[in-house]
Amino acid sequence: MNLILLKTTFKKNWILMLIFIGVLVMYLAVMVAMFDPEDMNALNEMISIFPEELMKAFGFSSLVTDLTAYLASWLYGMLMTALPVVYCIILGNRLVAKMVDNGSLAYLLSTPVSRVKIILTQGLYAILSVISMFGILTLFGVLICEISFSGHLDVRAFVQLNITTALVNILAIMIAFFFSCLFNESGLSSGSSSGVLIGFLLMNMIGGSSEQLEILKKLSIYGMYDPVEIVRGAQTIWLNTGLFIASLILLVVSVLVFKRKQLPI
Amino acid sequence: MIKLDNVTLTYPSGKGIFDIRFEVKEGTVMGYLGPNGAGKTTTIRALLGFMKPDSGSCSVIGRDCWTDPVSIQRSLGYIPGEISFPDGMNGDEFLDFLSEMRGSKDLSKRKDLLDMLELDPKGRIRKFSKGMKQKLGIVAALMHDPDILVLDEPTSGLDPLMQKRFVELILDEKRKGKTILLSSHIFEEVEKTCDEVIIIKDGRIVMFSDSASLRNSRRKAYQIRTGNNSEAVSLLVSAGFEIDGGRNDAENGVITVYVKGEDVDRFVKTIASFEVVDIDLKTQSLEDVFLSLYARDAERVVK
Repeated sequence: MNLILLKTTFKKNWILMLIFIGVLVMYLAVMVAMFDPEDMNALNEMISIFPEELMKAFGFSSLVTDLTAYLASWLYGMLMTALPVVYCIILGNRLVAKMVDNGSLAYLLSTPVSRVKIILTQGLYAILSVISMFGILTLFGVLICEISFSGHLDVRAFVQLNITTALVNILAIMIAFFFSCLFNESGLSSGSSSGVLIGFLLMNMIGGSSEQLEILKKLSIYGMYDPVEIVRGAQTIWLNTGLFIASLILLVVSVLVFKRKQLPI
Repeated sequence: MIKLDNVTLTYPSGKGIFDIRFEVKEGTVMGYLGPNGAGKTTTIRALLGFMKPDSGSCSVIGRDCWTDPVSIQRSLGYIPGEISFPDGMNGDEFLDFLSEMRGSKDLSKRKDLLDMLELDPKGRIRKFSKGMKQKLGIVAALMHDPDILVLDEPTSGLDPLMQKRFVELILDEKRKGKTILLSSHIFEEVEKTCDEVIIIKDGRIVMFSDSASLRNSRRKAYQIRTGNNSEAVSLLVSAGFEIDGGRNDAENGVITVYVKGEDVDRFVKTIASFEVVDIDLKTQSLEDVFLSLYARDAERVVK
């Protein structure tokens, strides 16, 4: 870990993070504004117009009646993973592969800071930025809900939901980061991470729409949990631990791969 | 200080460097010449610890370049062959960043270098011209006053005036006892600065020139045949000219005399006092060797 590099990486990438936080907060605000505690039945009726498979594919559960489950279903079922995927792909690629591709990494490596430290710092930035993103999102969520519908949000459940969603997104960015460390070309790195992560998203959607294909959902990193179940009190400790360990293993593997590789810069 | 021991490093394409072996001793400036794609940058990648040799090893200040690059970097300054700076940075931000990463606090040398190269590092690096980027790269490599310099085509993109100033800069560093590996295309800057020269082609060393032969290449060599060699040699030696092989070596009746530019007139007047059968200008300068290598390379491309 190198604080000077972390600061510089932050300076170079905070705008990207801000854009995504802005979009996610905007979606959150719109969804809260659309919530009507008196009339959840109307919403449920509207959902029943659409084919059940389609709604399930997007992660919408038809049995929500309270604000917390409503957000879990409509926002965390799909949007809170599908939008950050774009962030993961862009940032993951920027942190390593892009600098190898354009050669600017040569300057980092010509300072007395080891490869391991440099990559650990970049990986740590990726993790910290996802944590900040969901931290800020959680704060805004609680704030907006309290202003609009005071007392309706189950804050504890909402925080639990955000912790698990953040961990899933950390795993996603570690996958992108791994490819970024593996490949010397920016195109290969972002291509592979898009392929894998968008593949996981599609597996989650397709697996959710049909009983026969449910295995696809189970195999996707995005289908390992049900946001609505989490806010209804499902146990998340093992899932969270698993996600954390998987991310950690990917970070370690990324560092080892990068430490040993030939850099034509 | 810089040492390569039978280093072989190949790319998947089969190109690379093969069995490269040389040493740059403390306080010397080594020129590293070769046509495009000869393997100069590959050698430097191995020295900087960016790539691991397939076989052989290289070390700087006695430390292995692959396993211990960090302790080398403290006393090394590096100009990449293809300079690429981090995105979105200002010139002075970049220099600040490097100083912080190196933990160097002394900014006086940085200011001197900026003045000498007439560079104002403010503004986005992306908007810099090629020459300005090159200057920034030079400042970045030298500002922490390292003992060893590895310079990969350091003057590319600089105008002739700045190239000249760069040569002065290298001579300055040389006087301070720095060890320098200078990879270059430009014969003139190598000739002016280097003690020793290596020419590499297709990944192999094809010529090594030590300081004595390099010094000779800076003078013209005249080959003369005379009616009476021993008399001619005596006259030339007493006039202070250096004769190849010394006084007794005038085989085949040919005497080779080294003459500096300013002594040409005196040389002509000296030989006017005896019978000259033939006079020839010996063309064996380093530049000629270098050019003939380039030419052979070009021929092959044409074929």
